[in-house]
Amino acid sequence: MFSQFETWYRDRHEYARKWKDRTGGKVFGCFCSYVPEEILVAANILPVRVLGSHEPQDVTEQHLFGMFCPFCRDVLAQGLKGRYEYLDGITLAQACIHLRQAYRAWEENVEHPFSYYLPHPMHVASPHAVPYLKEELKNFRKAVEEHTGVTLTDEDLDRGIRILNENRAAMHDLYELRKGPAPKVSGLEAMWVTVSSTWIDKEEHTAEIRRVLAEIDGRDKDFGEGTRLMFVGSENDDTDFLGMVEMVGATVVVDDHCTGTRYFWNQTPEMDDRIEAIAKRYVERPACPAKDHVVRTRFPHILKLAQEYDVAGVILIQQKFCDPHETDMVPLRSFLEENGFPCLFLEFDVTVPMGQFRIRVEAFLEMLMEEDLF
Amino acid sequence: MAKEFWRWKEYNWQDENLNWRDGKVITGGVDVGSVSSQAVVMVDGELFAFSNMRTGSDSPNSALNAMNWALENTGMTLDHFDFIVGTGYGRVNVPFADKAITEIACHARGGNYMYGPTVRTILDMGGQDCKAILCDERGKVTNFLMNDKCAAGTGRGMEVFADLLGVSIEDVGDLSLDVDEEPPPVSSTCVVFAKSEAAGLLREGWSQSRVLAAYCSAMAHRVFTLLERVGVSPDFAITGGIAKNIGVVSRIERELNLTALKPKHDTQIAGALGAALFGKALVEKGKGRKNKAVA
Repeated sequence: MFSQFETWYRDRHEYARKWKDRTGGKVFGCFCSYVPEEILVAANILPVRVLGSHEPQDVTEQHLFGMFCPFCRDVLAQGLKGRYEYLDGITLAQACIHLRQAYRAWEENVEHPFSYYLPHPMHVASPHAVPYLKEELKNFRKAVEEHTGVTLTDEDLDRGIRILNENRAAMHDLYELRKGPAPKVSGLEAMWVTVSSTWIDKEEHTAEIRRVLAEIDGRDKDFGEGTRLMFVGSENDDTDFLGMVEMVGATVVVDDHCTGTRYFWNQTPEMDDRIEAIAKRYVERPACPAKDHVVRTRFPHILKLAQEYDVAGVILIQQKFCDPHETDMVPLRSFLEENGFPCLFLEFDVTVPMGQFRIRVEAFLEMLMEEDLF
Repeated sequence: MAKEFWRWKEYNWQDENLNWRDGKVITGGVDVGSVSSQAVVMVDGELFAFSNMRTGSDSPNSALNAMNWALENTGMTLDHFDFIVGTGYGRVNVPFADKAITEIACHARGGNYMYGPTVRTILDMGGQDCKAILCDERGKVTNFLMNDKCAAGTGRGMEVFADLLGVSIEDVGDLSLDVDEEPPPVSSTCVVFAKSEAAGLLREGWSQSRVLAAYCSAMAHRVFTLLERVGVSPDFAITGGIAKNIGVVSRIERELNLTALKPKHDTQIAGALGAALFGKALVEKGKGRKNKAVA
């Protein structure tokens, strides 16, 4: 039922190349989920999120500080190894310094016709955040217009906003199915959907979700037997790890990842000023911990998800050396545990020690359940 | 052949006063660890037999060898069991087990049996990893933490040091305490680095005792930080092979300012013991084998 998403997840580059051949359009690589894709889609550009490949590599040492996170390392390796050679442009929305360094090193070492560093407010709770981002987005829009030779109209922007919002709505509908006691969607399937949504043509992706949603009532299996878990962390596209967690007796029902709910959770509102609407959307979306201060919106949001999706426990996934998430992990763990959600903390690298992690996950599940043993 | 100083005692034990044929529920626990394997046989919740041996390269064989050794000359066979639980790194490779349970849960349960229901913190110092486990009065895990990424603070590290210094592993603890003054600890993050550091200290003229004291102290400090992270509440106990090393145990006690409970059994069998006890609980819940052979 979800095989199309799995194929998209596995064959991301092949998909993008074919999309270019088929449409004649441009493809932009997006570093970070704060890139305003509405503007790119309005310009008929395919935005693809640049992620790693989870393979050991030896090409980034000279470009990145030793204590930068494995994710930014893995991302840069993809560029240096030529795996995104089809990109017409790259753009980074500022969130963390590690990924910015990966972007800069990529920009210096890999040729693309377009590159844009988009400053992005770090203090999203400030009343100045939306006006600030609005001005930055105007500049970004202009740069995209100059590069494509097309002036974007309000109609173009409306189309970009609609296409993104429809995809977000479809993913919300899919996540709704994970709330009940017998979810019809596994965590692994949901990860194929959400992660692939970051690089597949959104209209095509939305249509595929709608096709699945139309058929899913007739599905003869569910994932109600598993212990309900939530994943929390930065980027996470590690299907091997998630697959292992579900194989040993869990069902992952919700997440707070920038390749998951943080990416699609809120809609771009309808406003006369489209650029302001887009700015508002990215300022008000569930925050990355890099931006979630001084007012903390992230903790109550995560708690609400844990409660609404009725999880028994939370796996806190920390990319090694990821400073923003590392800063949050200790208070977040206390906060969740005080609210009745036991946590398992795991530190991720480019590859993970599956045997060691399996013991911890199984022991965590035994701790949550297994009353039969006593 | 050169003496293998790391080699610890492999043995089996049986309670000769217990007639297993009178027992109603027979359960087994097999703990296939990265370094050692144990099999435990319990009759109606009483310890009847166990074995403790080195793990071979083949997990299923290690499990079978350990169980056969525990059962040696008792007349009991695998068919007499109501339930067998596998645990440890090789838990899914125990071909005759009915269920696999992690060693974290099993050490908590086994520790509860060995040390009594007052134990709340169990430190399992295993062959290649180390786990700080918090549990309730039933021996159910309430929280745990494992060491990451390296073997410092584990049995394998101690074996390496026994070999380096030419001291039998069973004597390491006592010898490490035979120092006038506690030396500064060696590197606590990596067995290989600690070993090179120790070789340097020997060349500088340090005595065996002093080097061992520096290593035991580093190991104690290493696990102390693990325990601090999970939060220690008394009573406190140690399981696994290193629990037999007084040099490490006394230094952990000193850092924690707590006395570890004294074990009633071989600390290496805690995991297998917990596994066998879980087996019994499952039999009592009607999950036992239906085709058990009559004794």
